[in-house]
Amino acid sequence: MFEMNIAIRHIRSRQRQTIFSVIAVALAVAIITISMSMLSGFTSYIVDATVENQPHVTVSPEEDEDYIYLYHGLLNYIRRQECVIAASPRYQGDCALQYQHNVEGVVLYGINPGDETKILNVEKDIVAGDFMSLTGPGNRIIMGSKLAENLEAEIGDAVTAKFPGSKPTDFTVTGIIRTGTQADETLAYANLGQVQGFYDKGDIITGIGVRVLDIYAADTLAEKIDYEAGYDATSWMEGNREILDLIDQQAGFAYIFYLLIFAISGFGIANILIMVVMDKVGEIGMLMAMGTSRRSILLIFLFEACILGMMGVIIGSVLGYVSSVMLASYTIPVPPEMYFGLDHLPFLITPKNFIIAGVFAMAINIIAGAYPARRASKMDPVEAIHEV
Amino acid sequence: MMENTENTYNRGDRRNRGNMTKMIEIRDLTRIYGDGAEVRALDGVNLDIGRGEFLAIIGPSGSGKSTLLNQIGILDTPTSGRILLDGVDITKSSEKERSRLRNRKLGFIFQYHHLLPDFNAIENVMMPLLINGVKRSKARKIASRMLEEVGLFDRMDHRPNQLSGGQNQRVAIARALVNSPEIVIGDELTGNLDSRASDAIYELLRRLNREHEQTFILVTHDEAMAAKTDRVIRIVDGQIVEDSG
Ligand SMILES: Nc1ncnc2c1ncn2[C@@H]1O[C@H](COP(=O)(O)OP(=O)(O)OP(=O)(O)O)[C@@H](O)[C@H]1O
Ligand SMILES: [Mg+2]
Repeated sequence: MFEMNIAIRHIRSRQRQTIFSVIAVALAVAIITISMSMLSGFTSYIVDATVENQPHVTVSPEEDEDYIYLYHGLLNYIRRQECVIAASPRYQGDCALQYQHNVEGVVLYGINPGDETKILNVEKDIVAGDFMSLTGPGNRIIMGSKLAENLEAEIGDAVTAKFPGSKPTDFTVTGIIRTGTQADETLAYANLGQVQGFYDKGDIITGIGVRVLDIYAADTLAEKIDYEAGYDATSWMEGNREILDLIDQQAGFAYIFYLLIFAISGFGIANILIMVVMDKVGEIGMLMAMGTSRRSILLIFLFEACILGMMGVIIGSVLGYVSSVMLASYTIPVPPEMYFGLDHLPFLITPKNFIIAGVFAMAINIIAGAYPARRASKMDPVEAIHEV
Repeated sequence: MMENTENTYNRGDRRNRGNMTKMIEIRDLTRIYGDGAEVRALDGVNLDIGRGEFLAIIGPSGSGKSTLLNQIGILDTPTSGRILLDGVDITKSSEKERSRLRNRKLGFIFQYHHLLPDFNAIENVMMPLLINGVKRSKARKIASRMLEEVGLFDRMDHRPNQLSGGQNQRVAIARALVNSPEIVIGDELTGNLDSRASDAIYELLRRLNREHEQTFILVTHDEAMAAKTDRVIRIVDGQIVEDSG
């Protein structure tokens, strides 16, 4: 490959310009990989926070219905779907809880503890007791921390659930949960069978929560359930459309910004190559006289763009990686409440971002090199040789 | 190729060139430059050059010597007329074929050496071989032998800026000859040298011509040098006015 050989010599013989153009590309790649890691980190933080606190897909009764009757078939159908990890039947109802003189309105969830822990990581929010304690004998209940405070009830206390038309029923408090959201004032969990019994409705439910393998496949699954089973299924994405759109929009702006940064570094490459080509007119003419094809002349200068770009990408990636790691370990000197509950910058360092930045940079550098390279390859050998 | 040999063998051949086989046949070659005020740099040139000839092209400045040489060297295309190299009409060749022919059949030496400044002497001499796809190790061997022939074996690792004008021109000669081209063309290749250096270059070319049976076509202003060649062609205003053949 004599083309590569010549390209390398050209670059080596002008070290200072080489260094500057490589630095320009390296800085662009570094800035962009840092920014991408931050954007990815922030996005995944928001998504995680959203996805962790609600089922990926929620199945609700058919239109004009309040309940899902004969739900076992539907449950089996959902569990058979390829991407589904778990599905949990739920009965959600309102009631009042009384403890001594205190009464509070409550949203009571009847669930199978084994199923529910598979779709939501409820156990991580338990601050007293144990979520699986619901499986024990007798009527048991787990309630939100604020709710427990308001009722002045503690673990081991018996609270009474009341609902018009239902028989008041006692539940023993076996756990306290704190999600950090408003739900802590109204949330209560009890066994599905006991809740169904309390409302005296038989074996029916108000919904099914589903957890899937790939959270971005939730949409497709929801549509499928909707279409095939006829129940109303909603994905977490549908429920959080605004946030997701905002993230997408932000990413879109970021990419325009990246393009501009790369364009600037591309001009650096184009600039050095234009200078090389102008400087090498006689040499190009002589190479043509020696039988170098126009294609090979083109290649020589494209290789130069590639080599410069490659050096920039490698140095920039290392710089970007090291900076991201350093920034990620930096503790933000503001209270977490002021920054989405974060005390560190949410960096997500993935190979994908580096590959995207690298390919992007290389593409722009080659485009930048194309103009001078083409000009070199189109030269008239006689005129070129005369221009010493 | 067959039809050409048959038809053109006797046509423009004014002298009997013995049993020398024809290397170059030029027929009615015209090159007009410019838009508006046009310049007939070559005006209906007919010329046959045999294998192994050592000839000089002379003429006043602006008479069309370089233009003719660039045509023979396939660096330029004529306005009309034909050039046959070894029976092949190069005016009809594709761009790719022209590059290939320049690499395999032709060696160029210009007034300025045009060595690649980022490569040392042997690397410069190797370049035509590498362009031809010859392996690096083999190219190095051939190139070092060639440098030895031009008397620069001990300057192999020097870059052009570390060599004298005459030495650089010798490297350029070694480079022009390294692919064993059938035709070597030189445009005022001693123009930048003093008379001693240019005599030495002339002797070198003469020896190479005898040893390798290559065709040498030299454009020169140096009448003394022209006088030492086997055949002198004089061009005035784009036409051959004298052929000493
Ligand atoms: N690219 C060009 N465009 C226009 N005219 C040209 C061009 N190249 C050469 N000419 C003209 O063609 C004529 C022949 O030029 P050429 O270079 O062949 O002369 P020459 O005999 O080599 O002269 P010299 O001895 O000075 O090198 C001149 O009149 C020149 O001005
Ligand atoms: Mg000339």
